[in-house]
Amino acid sequence: MELPASRSRASSSRRRSAVALLAVAAALLPARDSRPAQAPPSPPPTIVIGGEVDRFAVPDCIPRKGDEASREVCRTVTQVLRADLQFENLFKFVPQSLMNAIPPMDPEAPNFTDWKGIGATVLVVTRAQVTGGEATVELRVHSVGTGQSMLAKRYTGRDDNPRIFAHQASDDLMSLANYRGVARTKIAFVSDRDAVPGRRTKEIYVIDYDGYNPRRVTVNRSLNILPNWSPDGRSLAYVSYRRGNPDIFVASIYEGKSADLTSDKGGAAFAPSFSPDGKRIAYASSRQGNMDIWVANVDGSSPRRLTSGGALDTAPTWSPTGQEIAFTSDRSGTPQIYVMDTEGLNVRRVTTVGNWNDAPSWNPSKQFSEIAYTARLESGGFDIAVVDIATRQVRQLTQGRGSCEYPSWAPSGRHLTFACGRGGKWQIAVADRLGQTITMLPAGPGKNEQPDWGP
Amino acid sequence: MTCRLNRVWLVLAVAASLAAGCGGKKRPPAVSTAPPSEPAGRTQPTEVPPAGEPGPDVASLGPESARGEEFTPSNPETGEGGPLEDIHFQYDSASLTDQARSTLEKHALWLQSHRAAQVMVEGHCDERGTVEYNLALGEKRARAARDYLASLGVAAERLRSVSYGKERPLDTGNNEAAWAANRRAHFAVSR
Repeated sequence: MELPASRSRASSSRRRSAVALLAVAAALLPARDSRPAQAPPSPPPTIVIGGEVDRFAVPDCIPRKGDEASREVCRTVTQVLRADLQFENLFKFVPQSLMNAIPPMDPEAPNFTDWKGIGATVLVVTRAQVTGGEATVELRVHSVGTGQSMLAKRYTGRDDNPRIFAHQASDDLMSLANYRGVARTKIAFVSDRDAVPGRRTKEIYVIDYDGYNPRRVTVNRSLNILPNWSPDGRSLAYVSYRRGNPDIFVASIYEGKSADLTSDKGGAAFAPSFSPDGKRIAYASSRQGNMDIWVANVDGSSPRRLTSGGALDTAPTWSPTGQEIAFTSDRSGTPQIYVMDTEGLNVRRVTTVGNWNDAPSWNPSKQFSEIAYTARLESGGFDIAVVDIATRQVRQLTQGRGSCEYPSWAPSGRHLTFACGRGGKWQIAVADRLGQTITMLPAGPGKNEQPDWGP
Repeated sequence: MTCRLNRVWLVLAVAASLAAGCGGKKRPPAVSTAPPSEPAGRTQPTEVPPAGEPGPDVASLGPESARGEEFTPSNPETGEGGPLEDIHFQYDSASLTDQARSTLEKHALWLQSHRAAQVMVEGHCDERGTVEYNLALGEKRARAARDYLASLGVAAERLRSVSYGKERPLDTGNNEAAWAANRRAHFAVSR
């Protein structure tokens, strides 16, 4: 099932363009998206983005002072806010030329007649100023028809990364439409950019969802792979060879600590996956000889084996309810995706097309009952596909980009990330859930792979 | 047991610096602190959660032994070139070919005459297929080779196995020859 708004997006893939008006097919939006576990800040009841075809205008941010620092922050806020809103894939944008055609706005008292004249129904005004290294960005959202204020927020902070102000403003706008915004989410991934010469080491990094602001997480100069975010965004489970074997560690990324979950258990352990409540971790382990799916508490205690038999069972991923786990098994002779409950019972095969289907990622939104995975197609390369769990219908998201592998959903379930490339050249991509717009992220140098989209 | 395995492996990992003496060397911390990505994004009223708390720049995982035994064979730059040559596998298979068996029989003889030698059997895969599946397949390959050596009389405690999946290809090419070279078990020997 597609959102009508998503379909209308098909003709508008100019994500990074300077187009500045947006219109929400918002009548359909509330109640159709997944919500974060905690109650989001609810807007005042009078503030509803609704109606048949609300049209949003997002004119250039206005610097409160004439200095270059304020103008610079404003330039970034304008560009990033528009990119964020375009990426959300819910809005339409009216060309900048229409906004250029009306007189300059008094941000304290916009002439709503002007904005009405170019078809806007909602006006998004941003202003910024920098004082002594601290930036203040103000967001005002107006209903053009009534002149009513729908939202007024002021963000303050250091001026060295003004992108975050725009990300926050975008998420706040999304909250008005009862959506969980993507703008402040992060993606963890693996790169060899800092490899120790001759030792082929890999480390784990984190970037903003748009590829900016890369930061290194692991610094142990070993092989570190397969990162997986905890639901609260404060921890990353990953696999490290720092003790010789592939074992699962959990890093508290804001405290610089990591805990070793499996290296005292013997065998290989990899492919960690946090349960939706953050209390358990599913993973693959050969500690009893065969490669099976296991579930343990987040501290590694009480490990329990869920699968058995001689097949290779790997790559577990949880359903949004935490009551089922999808995984890959070659029990049929080829790798295929299966689903079971958390007792290891009621196993059923989900993929029926193709002879290699692997690396499942269950859409975390309860609205979409689907699993993204990596599929080998007739061409021999690998591509990202999504299977509807109920109907078993498959849609192919990627094509002709070398191989694309390792899909991972954004927390909202409306976007996903994966890696594409061939040989030593791999980069991180993001796409909407229908694959209509695929963007390669500026994630930095090296072979970048195994992305995991976190909160 | 794990201890020994660690030692062997750490020796491999730090082979290049062995001459300098790696025993007791300070290990790098495992994880750096990811600083808050945002300038503290406060809002008024305060509806926005605080940015990530400040923490120490780095934290140590605690002591870890890197004391090693003498080690020679593999080229520390590539991990290749030990006394025991690699064996190779068919695509998506962990079955030992006749050629692989005959190579392993030679390895068993060599190990009978080098009784101090210990072997880490590494399972590797080509780049096709996913990270997770190849880790599992590499594990199966390493175990197949290890188990065959054990069946030929090599004491089990001299044999360890580890999978690298497709993470450390010998040849990074994107063609049949590279793939065939990468589908292998490698024998890292320490003595």
